[in-house]
Amino acid sequence: MSGERQDPPAWRRYLRFVRPNVAADVDEELAFHVAMRVARNLSLGMSPDDARRDALDRFGDVTRVRHDLVSHDLRRQVATSRVEFASDVMQDLRFGWRSLRRAPGFAVAATLTLALGIGANAAIFSVVNAVLLSPLPYAQPHQLVSIGEGSGGEFVALRERLRSFSHLAAFAQATNAIDNGDRPERILGAAVTPNLFPMLGALPMLGRGFAEEESILGNNGVIVLGHRLWQSKFGGDSGIVGTRIILEGTNVTVVGIMPPAFQFPDRDTEYWMPYAFNPGNMGVTWAVGGKWFIGRLAPGVTVPQAHREVSTTWPTLRALNPLWDPGEDYRKDAAVTPLQDAMVGSSGTLLWMLFGCVLLVLLIGCVNVANLLLARATARERELAVRAALGGGRGRLVRQLVTERLLLSSVGAVAGVLLAFVGVRWLVSVMPAGVPRAHEIALSGTVLLFTAAVAVMTGVLFGVVPALRATRGGGGKSAGSGIGLRATAGQQHHRLSGALVTAEVALAVLLAIGSVLLVRSFQALSSEDPGFQPARVIAARVTPANANYRDPARLVTLYATVLERMSALPGVEHVAAVNRLPFAQSVWGIAPRVEGQWEDGSKMLPDLGHFQEITPAYFVTMGIPLKRGRAFTAADRDGVPPVTIVSESVARKFWPNEDAIGKRLGYAWPSEWMTIVGVVADTKQDSIRDTLSTSMYVPWQQRTRMSGVEMWVLARTTSDPGALAGTIRTIVRDVDRTVAVGEIQTMRNVLTDSMHKARFTMLLVAAFAIAALLLGAVGIYGVMSYLVGQRAQEMGIRLALGATPARVLAIVVRRGALLAAAGTALGLVAALFATRFLSSLLYDVSAVDPLTFAVVPALFLIVAVAASYLPALRATRVDPVKALRAD
Amino acid sequence: MSPRPQPADLLQGTLGILILKALLPGTAHGYAVSRYIEDATGDVLRIEEGSLYPALRRLEDRGWVTSEWGLSENNRRARFYKLTPAGRKHLRSEATVWLRYSQAVTRVLRAEPAIA
Repeated sequence: MSGERQDPPAWRRYLRFVRPNVAADVDEELAFHVAMRVARNLSLGMSPDDARRDALDRFGDVTRVRHDLVSHDLRRQVATSRVEFASDVMQDLRFGWRSLRRAPGFAVAATLTLALGIGANAAIFSVVNAVLLSPLPYAQPHQLVSIGEGSGGEFVALRERLRSFSHLAAFAQATNAIDNGDRPERILGAAVTPNLFPMLGALPMLGRGFAEEESILGNNGVIVLGHRLWQSKFGGDSGIVGTRIILEGTNVTVVGIMPPAFQFPDRDTEYWMPYAFNPGNMGVTWAVGGKWFIGRLAPGVTVPQAHREVSTTWPTLRALNPLWDPGEDYRKDAAVTPLQDAMVGSSGTLLWMLFGCVLLVLLIGCVNVANLLLARATARERELAVRAALGGGRGRLVRQLVTERLLLSSVGAVAGVLLAFVGVRWLVSVMPAGVPRAHEIALSGTVLLFTAAVAVMTGVLFGVVPALRATRGGGGKSAGSGIGLRATAGQQHHRLSGALVTAEVALAVLLAIGSVLLVRSFQALSSEDPGFQPARVIAARVTPANANYRDPARLVTLYATVLERMSALPGVEHVAAVNRLPFAQSVWGIAPRVEGQWEDGSKMLPDLGHFQEITPAYFVTMGIPLKRGRAFTAADRDGVPPVTIVSESVARKFWPNEDAIGKRLGYAWPSEWMTIVGVVADTKQDSIRDTLSTSMYVPWQQRTRMSGVEMWVLARTTSDPGALAGTIRTIVRDVDRTVAVGEIQTMRNVLTDSMHKARFTMLLVAAFAIAALLLGAVGIYGVMSYLVGQRAQEMGIRLALGATPARVLAIVVRRGALLAAAGTALGLVAALFATRFLSSLLYDVSAVDPLTFAVVPALFLIVAVAASYLPALRATRVDPVKALRAD
Repeated sequence: MSPRPQPADLLQGTLGILILKALLPGTAHGYAVSRYIEDATGDVLRIEEGSLYPALRRLEDRGWVTSEWGLSENNRRARFYKLTPAGRKHLRSEATVWLRYSQAVTRVLRAEPAIA
């Protein structure tokens, strides 16, 4: 029968099960139609030829119809498979969710681990990005360099000599009272050389910058306001340009307003004044440092070239001023550094270190997740094998596993993003003061993408590998796996996860050592004696308006009244006032003339670390021991011969073999001598890391024209000093409503705040180290549990053959301890190299502190043994019979 | 063989209605559909049988017809088509429109002066 010839080959039907063959189906359908028509024609009595011709005639254009149908069906197949794929994905997701819910411990551990890694990483990297990586907001920032710190005289001499720079500028920050005619306020500004704005490529928004001649003393009565100050204090009035305002009691003309985005050297600086040189008094100009020099490299000059010129030129300045002898080693260490590095300074080390820590935690986290996934995948090998045997395609199984991992990673990533969001805010709030550009910190999208990518990669990598392994070689073998196959698969897995755990422990050890070193430094810092007794002392910053207190007598009355009322409070033992409070603000030094030794004011005078104006009871209030002579009294006032008190090291420095009492010191100007009436103990004034420093004190009532109006009032109490804060504020307000009361803090807190950075570093690193330790323990526990589960049969057999539970316990614990020991050894070696980067943050502790390097590994071994103990205990309870029958 | 009557041109969409009608009694393959139309119209409407299949695909795309492979009466693999509930509804409304239309045309043609 001719119809038979139209039949498609039989195998085509089976092909259909694999994948619908569109063309074959169309052919088959059309062939059927024609065959049926031919059959009918034959039954009507036609000849086979006629029957066939008639059938084809009735059908029409076979080729065109076939073509139309095939292309139509192909289109439809594509559309359908898309829908099917989507529904498969949904199914995978549902299945993945269910299987995660079946193992909640695994899911929670993995999610939290990922969240911690991603969140901490994104948060810290956001900070690093804002502070360290994004370029400074100036024109061609890579050409800007810092040349170091020095005096005006040195600056002028350097500017004449250096050839590597197209611009060389100097600046110094200072706080001054700015008066808009309403109320004076002390605001931070900077004195800058006139070329600074052009050097940075910054143009004023209104008015102009500074002219070169405005840097000569006498011509410097001009000011450029920052946008923020202009808005807040002058209402954004553009008419202000060209008018006069009062700066520290002096009239200055506003010549320009900077645009909102401009900041230099930091965001807290709100105005700029010309840095004034005094060509007539170069002795002082050479001696008084504290100016920062920055420059723009000339085209084609590199940082190392500039560095070579500066480091050879600067030491030669020593010969310029015969009156001035700064010593042999003068500026031997002069260095040129990129401005960004210089501005970031030690914060950079801190941030890079934190970033390093957080990367380690992320790594540990990934290792842990990988391990958990591997263990879980191995546990599910059987399930996968069964599904493969039941006809689940390998691709489909792999896709399902990957979906499951991605689901897990995504949940972790979402939690991580939330954590990062919270983390960045927290970091900014606890960040030590002085981290530059802290206000620019925001959660960065790039960072989130990066960490999310890491999470996804972890998911895919550790999802696909076990999936491939589990589905390899079809169903039959694995489904019926016996002891042999299991043991082999297990061993492969053990080697991998063992390596992962070793790495994990190594990283955790590294972090732990760093954190212990920091904790020990912090302890050392905290127990360091500042030279005074900070306990039970409270300090309040009192700022009268300059305009109201031009008359010194009024000022004396103000503080006398405030102190008197404070001393009348119950529980107050002593009260005093000081112009600059140690540890709260930097206490300036002074270079005094010394009678019989350094009398010529034009010479480079010996520098004393700190100079303070105090009221009589300052030493008893602060708890600074008086060593010889007397303290100041109310009789040391204006109009009587001036007196001074020095600290022990000053007395030793100038009169090593004599009594300092009765000797005389003087300012460079005014010229009157001050007699030393007492010697007190040395104290620390700026930082607890400093050595005890040389200090000079004068009675506040013998004040000079240089003195400001602001003072800190202090009270030593018998109980909690913090309770006095409100009362002190009220007292000052009652005496004069126009007087501002700023910070009120206990001295204890002032000291603690000065250690803020050390504490911040320590807390963060300790947090990371604890996280790492916990993750490490989880890692060991996971691997050992898995190992025990895998080798349950072996343990069962051993027990059946007469091994004691103690022996089995030992086998497992020993394996855990070995892993930990290997990791610890690696971690120790890494720490020996890595902790040297910490040394700038350490205090009184060696970067290779033997105690730390002994204690931390011991701790880890204990943790490792503990983490393997529970699984080991489980191993001893394996029922031999059950274990052998398990398959 | 006697010459066949000249087939009338099928109006647009008419073929679809005929196919749906052919499927009304139950499942049928393409050949059965073409035989039904042949018998029911007394061979007045000669359809090019090949055009049935693209039309069936269009009906399937619109959800009025579904298809699946099965065995024919002589035990051969064939594709069978079946009316969906939507197809049934569509057929009913189309048939109503068509009948009203053809009645109207018929009335016009029968009206005075009569042609025949």
